[in-house]
Amino acid sequence: MAQTPPPASAMQPVLRLIRMPNAGLAPKIAAVVLLVIVLATILAPWIAPHDPLAMDPLNRLKGPMPGHPLGTDNYGRDILSRVLIGGRLSLMIGIATAIVSVLLGLIIGMIAGFFRTADAIIMRMMDALMAIPSILLAIALVALNGPSVGSVIAAITIPEIPRVVRLVRAVVLTAREEPYVEAAIALGSSMPKILIQHLVPNTLAPLIVQGTYILASAILTEAILSFLGAGVSTETPTWGNIMAEGRMFFRIKPELILYPGLMLSLCILSINLLGDTARDMLDPRLKKRAG
Amino acid sequence: MQFKSRNFDDAAIAIETDNLTVALPDTAGQPQVLKGIDVTIRQGETVCLVGESGSGKSVTSLAIMGLLPDALKVTDGKINLQGENLLPLSQAQMRELRAARVAMIFQEPMTALNPVLRVGDQITEVMELHTKLPPSERRKRAIAIMEQVHLPDVERIFRSYPHQLSGGQRQRIMIAMALVLEPVLLIADEPTTALDVTTQKQILSLIGELQANHGTAVLFITHDMGVVAEIADTVYVMKHGEIVESGPVEQILRHPQKDYTRALLASVPSLSPRPARPDVSDIVLQVDRLNKIYGGGGILKKLPRAHAAKDVSFTLTRGRTLGIVGESGSGKSTVARCIMRLIDPTSGQIRLDGSDIASLSRNQLRPHRKKLQVVFQDPMRSLNPRWTIARSLTEGPLNYGTSKSEAMAEAARLLNVVGLPEDALHRYPHMFSGGQRQRIAIARAVMMRPDVLVADEAVSALDVSVQAQVLDLLDQLQQELGIAIVFITHDLRVAAQICDDVIVMQRGAVVEHGPAGDVLGSPVHPYTRALIDAAPGRDWDFQNFRKMSEAPNARPA
Repeated sequence: MAQTPPPASAMQPVLRLIRMPNAGLAPKIAAVVLLVIVLATILAPWIAPHDPLAMDPLNRLKGPMPGHPLGTDNYGRDILSRVLIGGRLSLMIGIATAIVSVLLGLIIGMIAGFFRTADAIIMRMMDALMAIPSILLAIALVALNGPSVGSVIAAITIPEIPRVVRLVRAVVLTAREEPYVEAAIALGSSMPKILIQHLVPNTLAPLIVQGTYILASAILTEAILSFLGAGVSTETPTWGNIMAEGRMFFRIKPELILYPGLMLSLCILSINLLGDTARDMLDPRLKKRAG
Repeated sequence: MQFKSRNFDDAAIAIETDNLTVALPDTAGQPQVLKGIDVTIRQGETVCLVGESGSGKSVTSLAIMGLLPDALKVTDGKINLQGENLLPLSQAQMRELRAARVAMIFQEPMTALNPVLRVGDQITEVMELHTKLPPSERRKRAIAIMEQVHLPDVERIFRSYPHQLSGGQRQRIMIAMALVLEPVLLIADEPTTALDVTTQKQILSLIGELQANHGTAVLFITHDMGVVAEIADTVYVMKHGEIVESGPVEQILRHPQKDYTRALLASVPSLSPRPARPDVSDIVLQVDRLNKIYGGGGILKKLPRAHAAKDVSFTLTRGRTLGIVGESGSGKSTVARCIMRLIDPTSGQIRLDGSDIASLSRNQLRPHRKKLQVVFQDPMRSLNPRWTIARSLTEGPLNYGTSKSEAMAEAARLLNVVGLPEDALHRYPHMFSGGQRQRIAIARAVMMRPDVLVADEAVSALDVSVQAQVLDLLDQLQQELGIAIVFITHDLRVAAQICDDVIVMQRGAVVEHGPAGDVLGSPVHPYTRALIDAAPGRDWDFQNFRKMSEAPNARPA
């Protein structure tokens, strides 16, 4: 019988992802675009031509000009610098949300999947969380805790957790029935050891995929929260903040929304494309179609 | 044993393959999967294709059906159905021909039937696609064929969904679907392997009966020599894509010409129990009135209860093997899982070396785990695919404080004992065959120096020759280390070869318990008798190429 050999180590899917064999052109372009955006935002303090907060009342709402390649906003602040610096916080919030929600979801999902008594309680809580519209929940959480970066991350993370929990629980429920897990019980391995050494590696591949989707949606949610005025304080530029402020001058100067919006869209599109590629490569059922 | 001995020389040829060659054209070296196969099946004849996994039996049947997977291509030869070569036919022509002239039934009737369609509709659908009969006529013929396959309460079953039927009933539906258009050839690919022996017996006699009535030619694919002895007119023995030997069934079983055939037959375990070993008084495992009731709980609604084990009691002494036999759903695996404490028994005692482990908590249980090890049925899933063999083998000893170097040395030594090279330590499970993996699983259990080994259908997924080797290995380890084995199996032949004592279970209860020779030789309970009676080829002594009854007066030198 023809069988694809199972991954030899937990890290193997990660290595294969980085090499991207058989991937089409689109994911490669996406990877390059994302890399450029990430590098540009990381290096923003050094490559940005101006202080993103420095106002210049003489040059308000100007078009592209020497020293301001993308023009200036209503306070005369440099748009390019604001978009670059703003991307830092947007990406950071996205990445932090993805990591925190995957980690918390992993732990809660493991417990729900392995301990039957905890399962009913945890899953009903998750069902309840999923029944609340995530943007409304996030707005409420930020309103309660004040508009700090931490509370924004928490507000975006909490609605994401149930999806991760469900995913991890499903994987654990299937894997715990595997004879090798039962053999490990018979060999006297402790519960934490079985969870970490036998079960966690099974969740790695689906979590990588889920993580990329969370990353994309978290960046988007952050932008939405900022746009609605429920995000981090307006003094700190993020893509969402910049667009929210630009809204008032949209008729005179659409670039105020265009550039951060373009960065946001490119970023989300690239991440989602890479996420799809990761899913195709990690899911053996889709592998045939991919090549 | 009454073999079929009809002569088919005058019957018309239903199908014949001529030098049929199938290869993997896209794989390096273009390996051939079938190497020039010649098979002839005449009207009314049953031809058995036998061989171990990977011998090409199923590829042969798929080639005839025109259903080869994309990677496989017929590179040479002919397949003639009543004189017409099938190979040049288009996909559409083959589709027309399937079901109408060549039909097939599969091993697993649950997956071969559509779960969301009523079975009656699935039978009429075949006629809808291939005939121009009006709906009322289609229904009438469906009911008629369902009656012919002896389904009870046909009107009700006609409206049932597959999950509402038993495995045997589902296979009858498959047969009804296959035969409703009166095909020339019926291909049966291991159709009874997933069924219990008693059901298997009914299905085999049903196929024989329908064949006699309709004159269908049958190509029967199986790995079970007992089934061959029951139903074959002609046998083709396959190995590595070639036909090793063919001929009338009695000739193959009585006078096999080729070494491979002889070896294959010799590894079929005999149904006559081996002599029991002397009993010792050193009790290692004592199970007393063990009960397991599933369900009954539930927060919002009462779940249905199932009494999976009823008052099961037995004792096992050092170095002996106790077989628990029974059909699916008899509770034998429940008992095994309770003993292993993978599930919690509802009541009863399990005394392991004198201490009751039935109600110990997870932590209290840990020191006892060491003495009690398990080998599962499926060698593909019983080792963590991400772990090296070394890591799997040393997992247990490291849990009990053995040093890493000591555990590794022991793992290397045991790999040798189970017949694997030492460099296997650093390889992964997918690099080994099923039999090798089962040896590794046994080595992992033995690493713990257990007093009791629970083998849950441990050889059921293996080919007979590999099965014989693994049984030998268990026997050898038992002699060297004095391990007591609880051997769970549905296969009476295996039970006869390895067990000293046997428990027969039916619907959760023990119906017969005693020395293997008594239980299998002169069964008292009607259920045990029915089980033995249903074992295919029970009158034939495969290892010695003779009838069981010929044994005393025709002993070969």
